Amino acid sequence: MWNRTFTVKTKLARTAPIALTLAFGMALTACGSTGSSAPAASADPAAAAGSTPAKQTQSADTKLTVYTAGPEGLANKIIEGYEAESGVDVEVFQGTTGKILARLEAEKSNPAADVVILASLPAAQGLKADGLTMPYPEAKNADKLNPDWSDADGNYFGASASALGIAYNTKLIATPPASWADLSKPEYKDQVNIPDPSLSGSALDFMTGYLNANGDKGWSLFESYKANGVTMAGANKEALDPVITGAKGIVVSAVDYMTYSAKAKGEPIDIVYPSEGTVISPRPAAILNTTEHEANAKAFIDYLLSDEAQKMVSEAYLMPGRTDIKAENRANLDEIPQLAVDWDWMNENGADVTERFLKLFK
Amino acid sequence: MNKSLTLKPIRGLSVLLALLVLTVMIVIPLIQIFIQSVYRDGELQLAAPFRTIADADLAQVMLNTVWLGICVIFGTTLLALPLAWIMVHTSIGRIKGLEVVLLIPFMTPPYIGSMGWILFMQKNGYLEQLVPALGRLAPSFFSFGGMIAIMSLHLFPFLYLLLRGALERIGGSLEEAASVLGAPAWYRFRRIVVPLLLSSFGMGAMLIFVKTIAEFGTPATFGKRIGYDVMTSEIHRYVSSWPIDFGKATSLSSLLLTVCLLMWYVQSVVNRRYTYSLVGGKGSRRSAETSRGPVLWLGGLFVLLLLVFSIGIPYFSIVAASTMKLRGEGLSWSNTTLDAYRELLSFGTPGMKALMNSIWLALAASSIAAVLGTWFALVIRRSKTIGQRSVDLLSLLPNTVPGIVIVVGLILLWNSPWMPIPLYNTAGIVILTYVVLFVPYTVQYVKSAAGQIDGSLMQAGQVFGGRPWYLLSRITLPLILPGILAGWTMTFTIASRELVGSLLILPPSMQTSATFIFAQFEQGQVSLGMAMAVVSVGFTTVILTIMESLGSKRKWNKR
Repeated sequence: MWNRTFTVKTKLARTAPIALTLAFGMALTACGSTGSSAPAASADPAAAAGSTPAKQTQSADTKLTVYTAGPEGLANKIIEGYEAESGVDVEVFQGTTGKILARLEAEKSNPAADVVILASLPAAQGLKADGLTMPYPEAKNADKLNPDWSDADGNYFGASASALGIAYNTKLIATPPASWADLSKPEYKDQVNIPDPSLSGSALDFMTGYLNANGDKGWSLFESYKANGVTMAGANKEALDPVITGAKGIVVSAVDYMTYSAKAKGEPIDIVYPSEGTVISPRPAAILNTTEHEANAKAFIDYLLSDEAQKMVSEAYLMPGRTDIKAENRANLDEIPQLAVDWDWMNENGADVTERFLKLFK
Repeated sequence: MNKSLTLKPIRGLSVLLALLVLTVMIVIPLIQIFIQSVYRDGELQLAAPFRTIADADLAQVMLNTVWLGICVIFGTTLLALPLAWIMVHTSIGRIKGLEVVLLIPFMTPPYIGSMGWILFMQKNGYLEQLVPALGRLAPSFFSFGGMIAIMSLHLFPFLYLLLRGALERIGGSLEEAASVLGAPAWYRFRRIVVPLLLSSFGMGAMLIFVKTIAEFGTPATFGKRIGYDVMTSEIHRYVSSWPIDFGKATSLSSLLLTVCLLMWYVQSVVNRRYTYSLVGGKGSRRSAETSRGPVLWLGGLFVLLLLVFSIGIPYFSIVAASTMKLRGEGLSWSNTTLDAYRELLSFGTPGMKALMNSIWLALAASSIAAVLGTWFALVIRRSKTIGQRSVDLLSLLPNTVPGIVIVVGLILLWNSPWMPIPLYNTAGIVILTYVVLFVPYTVQYVKSAAGQIDGSLMQAGQVFGGRPWYLLSRITLPLILPGILAGWTMTFTIASRELVGSLLILPPSMQTSATFIFAQFEQGQVSLGMAMAVVSVGFTTVILTIMESLGSKRKWNKR
């Protein structure tokens, strides 16, 4: 056994050099414990963490790393727009919300990301609860955001949103369903896909939202779906694609922006929002408190909430997060009937709902 | 054996060094994972993995997994064994380029292959559009049998390569000798071919089993559709959906690992019992009897059907989907466009960059893996000592653990604050990941080739005063070269389409063709993704053809 002290370079300049005992097997137990103590350390001196990196950013800091959920075209446009405006070099990792969270988890002991954009609000609530986000209440235009979609203390910002509806193939379905319950009717038997809530955060938002609004008897809807041959099919795109190609007729709990964009291309598809109301799933952006490029991260959030970026959001058929900017190519917030939902309840019960739903549909 | 006297110190050192390299590459990342599975909420809970396994209602899923693995071994054997025989014993084997074509199914990303089948067979799918009367077949295809068929048609080249290698090494003389002494064909097959094939088959069957149960693409696309759950889908659920739980994922992985290790043990017992020295000083040659007449016709028909089912149908769907203007319009000439290819192949587009990344990463990784794998295989030899057996086991480990688990371990290790080498978030870590994931292939292929070299060759070399280095370069290396090439080919093929690991380990702003395709399926345009699949498989084929023509010039027993 021998002791060794590594001075940690570049990325970890903010922390004091970490001394570790290295010996073949022993080393591993040691890093296991560092891994678990890291979040605790970052939780208490949250105030201190805010002040140190500011010094570094005085010199020209031109780096920023963003982990973002799709749609791909939109993410690229926003990044390019921000790069052009600020001269900062942005490194991007694109993936689903699940992939991004997995990567954050794996990098926990030495985080690389500065800003994350996720497609699921509960995930951002989770980051906040774990003390991983950096509040930025003074973000420009934050006051114009829909308050239901963002954190009051500025831990995350609902920069865009999509609504969950019923997408259908216009060649196969002559009379689109008008309510969620319609899909249990025999005329839609074996025609319907539903996304897997463990893979699609927005589908889960719909399920938890529906159960939140209807109480435990909400389950009878999903039970009647199962009885009517509704099949669970992968994430959003995987559920929608068979409907575009005509193998299935309908996706229930379909994210609307994907449907709008396919419809704009000329595919035989359309979407309805049932009259009893649906869930709108915000797509939050957050700064991680481990960032070493605080100034750039904040500037990026400002850009994300600017008129220019919000326009890009609406061009991608998403709902802009700012209430003062309207989309022209899709249904706006006031045109979509909504369920009254409590996001905190939804966040708490997400795992149980997923499990029960998967058991039901397997 | 007196040769070991002079070589002992070097060999001992080599074993030690190999163990050290393997420990850093493979064992430490896996230990990191293990620690994650027993450290819950910041404290040590040794019972946690067992609780997960008991809780998660996994017996059925585990049974599904193992049953699928066994069925796919059976399916691939049905395809690969006759194929290997036909390619060695008839003139079909001399058709130029067929070798590389037979690898195409394996080059195809499994989820793309499955998507091809789904698009072809589903309701209102391409089959129904082409031949409406056959539309009724669709429901019966979406079953467990269909899943075995898809996976077997994807994996058979793997077993085929091993079996053909073994059949070639058997050569003609043994069978001819038996034939001269009056043994009937069935007797020859049973008493000569089967025992000699068994060691290669055992290795191949085990690798197929492991590949099957660690496979993600087909279960995620086709399996989900028919409601057939396997362990990898469960593991992926824990590592890629909220709430992330590496602990549970790793507990499930260790269960998979245990099954794989059991398989490995059985295989190594079989292997030790049935390894024979086939390559002696006398040289070998192909059997003089090449079959003609009905056997040739039957063989030709078999190869043709195999190509239709393993390449024809999936690629028809893939190409059709990649050239479709509107996916909702179905097959018709007015609905075709080459826009996706135009977008992909223009210089400087994200797609082009992704493709180039894939190719150079795969080239680098497969070359490093070939060198390392050959070294490990030579160190292992016939795994007599504990050290050699450990090298054998460790170099096989990555093949038995689902890729995603190893990748998480690699991230935990290479991104830890005390790691002095800044490899993480560079292209280097991607290459390292590919090497770790795929080094078992080279080890297996080279081991299978080296295991059959008769010790008399080395002794002869020594008698004539050959130094160890000379013996290695003039006897061993030329004899195992086909094994090395097969390993290189396999690594290159898989690395150039690797998805699961790449998704997690690629540095930000870097894409490979596989992640590009996946992104298209998740968020972008399906046609662009399909076009990328066609182009990247095309590129891989070209590179393999070049390698093949280089390799065949060097074949030592070419007559």
